[in-house]
Amino acid sequence: MNRHTILKAANALLLAGVLSVTWFAGRAFHRMHVNDPIYPAPGLTEKILLSRYHSALRSGPADTEIYLFSGKEKGGRLLVLGGTHPNEPAGFLAAVLMVENLQVEKGDVWIIPRANRSGFTHNDPQEASPQRFVLTTAKGDRSFRFGSRLTNPVHQWPDPILHINPAGQVLSGSDSRNLNRAYPGKKEGVLTERTAFAIMELIRTEGIDLALDLHEAAPEYPVINAMVFHENSAELAAVALMDLQLQNMDFRLEESPPSLRGLSHREWGDHSEAASILLESANVSHGRLKGKTSASLIVEGRDKNYVRAAARGLLFVPFDEAGIPLKERVARHLAAVRSLTAGLGDMHPDREIILHRFPSPELVREKGAEACLAPPNQR
Amino acid sequence: MPDYLIFLSMVGLFALLAMLFKIPIGLSLALSAVAGSILGGHGIALRHLIEGSFGYFDTILIIFCAMIFMKGLEASGILDGITSSLLTTFHRRKAGLLLTLMFLLMFPGMITGSSTAAVLSTGALVAPVLLKLGMSRVRTAALIAMGAILGMIAPPVNILVMIMGAGVDMPYIGLTLPLLILTIPLAVLFSLILGYRHIHTVGAEELRSILPSSPRRTQGLRTAVPPLLVFGWLLGQAAFPRLIPDIGIPAVFLLGSLGCLVCGGKFNPFKVTQDAVRDSMPILAILAGVGMFIQIMTLTGGRGWTVMSFLSLPPALLYLGIAVSMPLFGAVSAYGSASILGVPFILALISKNAVFTSSALSAVASLGDLMPPTALAGMFAAQVVGEPNYFKVLKLCLLPALMLLAAGIGLMLLAGPLDKII
Amino acid sequence: MRWIYHLIIAFLTIHLLVYMLGEKKLTAKIGAGLVLVLFLLRLFLIK
Repeated sequence: MNRHTILKAANALLLAGVLSVTWFAGRAFHRMHVNDPIYPAPGLTEKILLSRYHSALRSGPADTEIYLFSGKEKGGRLLVLGGTHPNEPAGFLAAVLMVENLQVEKGDVWIIPRANRSGFTHNDPQEASPQRFVLTTAKGDRSFRFGSRLTNPVHQWPDPILHINPAGQVLSGSDSRNLNRAYPGKKEGVLTERTAFAIMELIRTEGIDLALDLHEAAPEYPVINAMVFHENSAELAAVALMDLQLQNMDFRLEESPPSLRGLSHREWGDHSEAASILLESANVSHGRLKGKTSASLIVEGRDKNYVRAAARGLLFVPFDEAGIPLKERVARHLAAVRSLTAGLGDMHPDREIILHRFPSPELVREKGAEACLAPPNQR
Repeated sequence: MPDYLIFLSMVGLFALLAMLFKIPIGLSLALSAVAGSILGGHGIALRHLIEGSFGYFDTILIIFCAMIFMKGLEASGILDGITSSLLTTFHRRKAGLLLTLMFLLMFPGMITGSSTAAVLSTGALVAPVLLKLGMSRVRTAALIAMGAILGMIAPPVNILVMIMGAGVDMPYIGLTLPLLILTIPLAVLFSLILGYRHIHTVGAEELRSILPSSPRRTQGLRTAVPPLLVFGWLLGQAAFPRLIPDIGIPAVFLLGSLGCLVCGGKFNPFKVTQDAVRDSMPILAILAGVGMFIQIMTLTGGRGWTVMSFLSLPPALLYLGIAVSMPLFGAVSAYGSASILGVPFILALISKNAVFTSSALSAVASLGDLMPPTALAGMFAAQVVGEPNYFKVLKLCLLPALMLLAAGIGLMLLAGPLDKII
Repeated sequence: MRWIYHLIIAFLTIHLLVYMLGEKKLTAKIGAGLVLVLFLLRLFLIK
């Protein structure tokens, strides 16, 4: 065989290798673009798409579902956001549990489980996140995607060198894909800014009284197990905290710093009448100290590096061998939503919201979110 | 298998492949990542491997396009033209020349936060001038690398600080002063230490003999168009974001390359692009390999083990840990170092002023761009001057690098008192 | 803006492919192959 033939053979082999790697990797990436089913409770009034509030999003990657539950009686108006950061699954799951269980007697409740829908379609490079985690209900497995903090670059690209967000703050380019830096949004902006604009429009046009954004953060991060409130809702946060403490759940109260712009708790409050609060629970799976990465790290929340870190005083939450499991984190979010909603009604009787079949934080804490999830493949 | 054993096997295998079997670094990294994935019980985790590489996709694009621009400057004769103008202006003024060149070197890094962009743009402009005035290739490359690194730290754009800021919710405000304190004295020092005794002034006679004599030398105002297009655009989009759209660094460089095609002497654009691909391929493969390596390291717990080991150092050794670990981790990427180690370090030092701490940490992390195997700044600087062995360049960078490290650690130690003054 | 980058990526993909097939050294070819995978994926995952 002469050199030429060898080269040709090597080329053919290499090309076949490149194409098959591309094919198989591409298939794995593509799987993330399919939405996991959510099975709304019978009490659902209407399923709306976010593009109702900003038509530019119509049938695009950011056009996410909004679940509206309206009571027979007029009352307060609540908005709950999960999945602003799709790698913070407790917030997303708390929202899903509400959608799959809720019945509203009085007032209106809007729930957006996948606020940044595009962020659910990929994972952060080099974080080695699992693509999915599975919860086993009595009648079968429910599988959910674990996404990325940011909008998929496939949907919004390229990142600028510097990003000046709609509130005027200078951020690194990749933060142009961070929904929780994009408020109050920009009508003609990039996809993430348009999404933020649409959510802001929802808050304004529907006259939302209380807007909640559910998040998670790493245990080494100071704003953790926290309730970050806009100054317009200081009293509500304090009232809810007392109620939560009675249920043996402690939260750190943090006032939204005026210098940090583009975040939901700041801009929602500044640009609308809504009482704006962001909730954080502690998730080891996107901390920088995490050990082996896996789906069980998300669900069980146990990590020996974090046990060591706690012993050295590096964490802002207590952490031991038991870890901080997903059920605990989801329960905290649910309890906070319940207490804040109740607090709103106590302070302003005209804004009372009566929730029936609210997914019980106590049950979730004990038996896991799967105890309140609908069984799969239900038509 | 315990987390650290998988990680150590990956490192061992990499060293074995790269040093003993002389397999290219990028491929060795990729192979040890595959091995780590198997050892961790994940088989060949294809999705993880490719996803890891995607972490550097934007960097790969920048390098690609910057390299095309550089090759275009060369092929069109524009580079020769610029060398002539710079030499004619400065051939009698050593200090003036060195300081001007230092500013030129830093400029692209200042507005993009990327040392690679600096080395491959103004580095390429500055190199021939220094070489003509008698500086050795290795020394020229070292000066270029250090200038590019200072540019990456210098304001207005310091991506390292932004990455750390995003991790601790610190707004990018009030950084100009500390970053200037860090970089300006060092910029003056480096250009003089590395340059002053190693170039000589030339008279008019000698000047004529050393000016590039290439017949294709492009002259006049037209030569200024492509570089001005690139730097003007980069500056413009930072200064007047409403007027000049931010089209991303890669597109700006390609625009400059088109400028070379229009304004310079004739050349074959296909050959230029192929040259650019060939010259950037080793580093692109390294970036792809490094991405795989980090992702598998994270997957199998090696990353957490490394971060935890440094964070567990007793407080007295914490600064030493920072000084060692951040440049070391920067071997895979300075940005990665800022995110993975910078953020926990800021949190560990949370009692101090975060603006000063993050500025100081960015100086320490920037040294990662001099750390093999990637050593982006050193490797490209060597390439720009045509030096095949980039380790020689890195050796000469050692003293200035230690000075930068000392400045970083010093600022960290002084963060408390400075906070009260400023 | 995105379409400019589609073009840039398509342009670079072609050059990578040409380089990979034309290069004589096997290790360099494989290195180019690694990078090529990223470009192909980005090119075809963009919708």
